[in-house]
Amino acid sequence: MLVAQDLWKGYGEGERRVEVLRGFSLTVQKGEMVAIVGPSGVGKSTLLYLLGLLDRPDAGEIVIFGKRANLLNEDERAHLRNRKLGFVFQYHLLLADFTLEENVAMPLMLAGERKERALQRAKELLAQVGLAHRGHHYPDELSGGEQQRGAVARALACGPELLLADEPTGNLDAVAARRFFELLQQLHLRDGLTSVIVTHNEVLARGCHRVVHLLPEA
Amino acid sequence: MRALAFVVYRYLWGLSRRTHVAVVSAISFVSLSLGAAALVLTLALLEGFQATVRQELKMVGPHALLLPAVGDKLPPGGWLAELAARNPGFSFRKLERGVGWVVALGEAIPVHVEVSEELSGVEVDRVLAARGAIGPGAEVNIVSPAPMLTPLGPAPRQFRVRVERVVPSPARAERGTVRVPRVLGSRLFPQGGQEEVHVTVPPGKDPLVFSEKLTGVPAGVVVRSFRERNRPLLAALALEKALIGLGVSLIVLVASLNLLCNLTMLAVEKRADAAILQAMGLRPQGVRQLFQGLGLAIGVGAGIGGGLGGAVVAEVLHRTQAIPLPRGVFAVSHVPFAVRPEHVAVVLGVTFVASYLASQFPARAAARRSVLEGLRRE
Repeated sequence: MLVAQDLWKGYGEGERRVEVLRGFSLTVQKGEMVAIVGPSGVGKSTLLYLLGLLDRPDAGEIVIFGKRANLLNEDERAHLRNRKLGFVFQYHLLLADFTLEENVAMPLMLAGERKERALQRAKELLAQVGLAHRGHHYPDELSGGEQQRGAVARALACGPELLLADEPTGNLDAVAARRFFELLQQLHLRDGLTSVIVTHNEVLARGCHRVVHLLPEA
Repeated sequence: MRALAFVVYRYLWGLSRRTHVAVVSAISFVSLSLGAAALVLTLALLEGFQATVRQELKMVGPHALLLPAVGDKLPPGGWLAELAARNPGFSFRKLERGVGWVVALGEAIPVHVEVSEELSGVEVDRVLAARGAIGPGAEVNIVSPAPMLTPLGPAPRQFRVRVERVVPSPARAERGTVRVPRVLGSRLFPQGGQEEVHVTVPPGKDPLVFSEKLTGVPAGVVVRSFRERNRPLLAALALEKALIGLGVSLIVLVASLNLLCNLTMLAVEKRADAAILQAMGLRPQGVRQLFQGLGLAIGVGAGIGGGLGGAVVAEVLHRTQAIPLPRGVFAVSHVPFAVRPEHVAVVLGVTFVASYLASQFPARAAARRSVLEGLRRE
């Protein structure tokens, strides 16, 4: 499903240049739940953004859903992000001007779905993550755990094949983090989801099929 | 596009939640509305005054003149009757013109003299009536420009006449006019005066257009149409409207610069939103369209609101005659406003274009911004 081969990525120019990823490779099978762990600043989020087609590597190649990512133009990348990828970010990143329901419906609307149908689907997804009663609330009226579950519902809106989560439990307490993990496992078992999760959470990492350690100078 | 329209709608209608984007958008909206309203009001005011001037021209003066091509005598023959037959609805009045003096209040007032076949008595216009304190029934002396030769030398030829009525003056006339019948005219101008024919277009027709539709004018006669006769004044009116309209449209320009600033701030503030939407599958040009849509929505709404609001205010001020003018100074009793649809259309067009242009820079800048930058800033 996903092959990353010899990825290089750095930031800055000249003497201020910092190489974040140095020849990193990864293969993810369908249905697999992969945890990427490592200290801060080692490039975990950068790797996730590369795998999620939000950025391009300086060198190396990513093959995703059988397509070579560096051959895809921006429109094709955007289309893949919309239809086959789901993102859960560290700080929830719900749109503040929209209700939770509208946030969840947004990927569907971007895919061309009618608003009414998108909102109906959003209600179903929110029910799945236990937030059916919070659909009309704005993000600033939700707790951290609720926002994170809302973000998961949004990531699943278009029925993605691959979920990419960037420290999804970073701002949650132990109970909320556990619930989030259970929800993720449920989605894997029921829908055959594949996921790559960047995390510091040892419990969450141990529950994944595979843990990839990203080390400084790796 | 449906999703983008929804995002724009939500950004604009978040005012009840007092979101920053809605407040800033409201400020831009009000600025542009005021600019559009000011422009419509100004154009309506100018049009109101200018329409009064044009109406005065149309009401008072002849709409066109037929003049001899050479010299001061029109060709002989029945061509005027033929011309009248070929141009039904038009009316023609042949007369002779000259200059002379009217003696009133102990002074000789220089006047235009018109000699007409149709008159039976002497008429003076309002300018002359005011200058010489002349009213109907008054007796005055008219002095001919052709002096009488006497043994003591040339002496002025004077005719005492009784004024039958006072008639309106030609528009913006500075010198008075006296109209006399043919019999008296022949004595005032033994050599004859400058011959001309005053043409009036059919009732209800616009002299500006119809004075140029006169057909069958014979050789030796030239037509001076309404437009030609009033060319300097009409050009001055048009120039006045264009320059003042241009000046006032600077308000719209300033308002659109305000929109540009606000959209730029919004694009920076909403970079995380743009990044999230891109992560969800929105293309970079979608981000551009989002901010263009936001700018256009504000511009179109403000243009329509301000433009129509200005038109309504102008119409109400005109109908209620809310702003009076001092009598005797102006030709009208109140400030006239005349809203013309084409002016409102121009204002709407200017507002739309200005808001579209104002949204270009922030929209393009937002589309170029890195997705990661937006996600990390959150």
